[in-house]
Amino acid sequence: MTLKYAYFPGCVAQGACRELYMSTRSLTQALGIELIELKKASCCGSGTFKEDSQLLEDTVNARNIALAESLNLPLLTHCSTCQGVIGHVDERLKAAQQDDPAYLAQVNGLLKQEGCSPYQGSTEVKHLLWALVADFGIEALQQRVTHKLAGLKCAAFYGCYLLRAQDHLPYDDPYNPQSMERLFEAVGATPIYYRGRTQCCGWPLSSYATTESFKMAGGHIQEAIASGADCIVTPCPLCHLNLDSRQPEVERVVGQELGLPVLHLPQLVALALGISPKELGLDRHVVSTQSVLDKLGV
Amino acid sequence: MQVQFKVFRQTVDSPARFQTYALEVEPGNTILDCLNRIKWEQDGGLSFRKNCRNTICGSCSMRINGRSALACKENVGSELARLAKIQTDAPGENSATSEIPTLTIAPMGNMPVIKDLVVDMQSFWDNLEAVDPYVSTEARQVPEREFLQLPEERDRLNQVGNCILCGACYSECTAREVNPDFVGPHALAKAYRTVADSRDSQTEARLEQYSEGTSGVWGCTRCYYCNSVCPMEVAPMEQISKIKQEVLDRQDAQTSRPIRHRKVLIDLVKEGGWIDERKFGLMVVGNSFRDLRGLASLGPLGLRMLARGKFPLMFEPSEGTAEVRSLIEAVQKAED
Repeated sequence: MTLKYAYFPGCVAQGACRELYMSTRSLTQALGIELIELKKASCCGSGTFKEDSQLLEDTVNARNIALAESLNLPLLTHCSTCQGVIGHVDERLKAAQQDDPAYLAQVNGLLKQEGCSPYQGSTEVKHLLWALVADFGIEALQQRVTHKLAGLKCAAFYGCYLLRAQDHLPYDDPYNPQSMERLFEAVGATPIYYRGRTQCCGWPLSSYATTESFKMAGGHIQEAIASGADCIVTPCPLCHLNLDSRQPEVERVVGQELGLPVLHLPQLVALALGISPKELGLDRHVVSTQSVLDKLGV
Repeated sequence: MQVQFKVFRQTVDSPARFQTYALEVEPGNTILDCLNRIKWEQDGGLSFRKNCRNTICGSCSMRINGRSALACKENVGSELARLAKIQTDAPGENSATSEIPTLTIAPMGNMPVIKDLVVDMQSFWDNLEAVDPYVSTEARQVPEREFLQLPEERDRLNQVGNCILCGACYSECTAREVNPDFVGPHALAKAYRTVADSRDSQTEARLEQYSEGTSGVWGCTRCYYCNSVCPMEVAPMEQISKIKQEVLDRQDAQTSRPIRHRKVLIDLVKEGGWIDERKFGLMVVGNSFRDLRGLASLGPLGLRMLARGKFPLMFEPSEGTAEVRSLIEAVQKAED
């Protein structure tokens, strides 16, 4: 049976991390996973809507979820932050169906008033990582690997929202997750364990508390290097922005040259399927990914 | 059943080490029961804080298998189940190992160790004091009888009132690790308790104080660690969000960059459904060309992203922009 998802691309993959959009497309096509892009969806608010009002975060994302519901498909994200925000709204509104129907009625009243489909609570919100590990399956993925990433040491960087924003995490322990590491092994790479993999990249502070933000990112990159990593791999484009695009500034704050490539999750998996680095946008990173490609002989 | 406890040991000015103790236990034994037995039966020198044994006093907070928790609340059975699940998930670990299960116990983070599992909590208390966590009635005429509150006014204080000041949130706070000025989630949760209290007469001054620089609410990175480890479901990050809501209601985008960050984000979603990241940087950091230093600080980032083909040259609005815009406006109207 073909896996099919309502694909929520998010802002960053359509902007500064276009290579994430490209690589998710390439990977899912190669695996025969069908994505129906939600062209009418909107920004999840990245946790910021809620700082203005909970009702704002819930209503805007109830609309996003309802777009997937109208296709009878699970909503697929490829961003830890989108997953944590939309996934948590889904949890909260599903709970409200039982505990607080008046609140749900308020959310749906606003949706109906603006001509949007109401939220039904009939689908689920799923990150690409979980779709690969749980729906497609590790063994099935292993069988599709044509270019084992042998010898490549990968340090996961999960992103806070993927691990701790939802009340119930369906696939991982929030303090000691393993799904990224299982994927690394499935594609022939070697997982590197280091403390930073479950920590914060510092992105939410980067527009106004740059020193603190870059100190945070820098500490994790230093640790990953000290643990022998050839690259960081992340399922979150916001982490990617702070770890990759700001890495030159991070280097200045920690006073050390780092130069550690930061790959998006689908880029890594797609490399193992023999998809070309160019198609995956691996030339579009601030920190060159050449050392990874050299190591793999691609 | 037999289990091993791998316990962090350290005295001031000596290197830390782990010491292992074997113990015959029942799954229902709490971690604190086990530590007590180690202390009483095997090693009287092991130090840890404890008191009520009943999730009330908040004394026995420590890192249990990788996250801060109360030793009197967690038990051997649930910890072993958690470890077994992680083990099955882990790559290359398909069969259960025959080794004796090991529980790892370490002191809280973000505070210096005094001895073994006992940390110096001075900064924790100082930071709590810094938010003035007392209901202030100074500006008011003291009534002849006590201040009255409606039940619904009192209900707003319940969640934060559950805080037992155990330090678990502070221990895992990622902002504290890099920012010594940040007062921490426990303090801001208590801060919200005073903001929400109908008897307090200092709300405006408090909101000013709590939104200053990055010592207060804007220092939070929203990493969710505090919510995740809190044994009392106080959800400090939610309380920080509620303070932010009060601040955002009162202050405009020109007040500070963190506030501009929030306001601009909503404006841009109304404008294009998705965020146009080019405008976001210009408007938040460059303050729409009013902050030239901020603008200049973006220069190297912009150039580097351009050079690597990473700079978004185009922006395609969502096909649902008009709908999202009117929806956001409807929410804003409903909340006015």
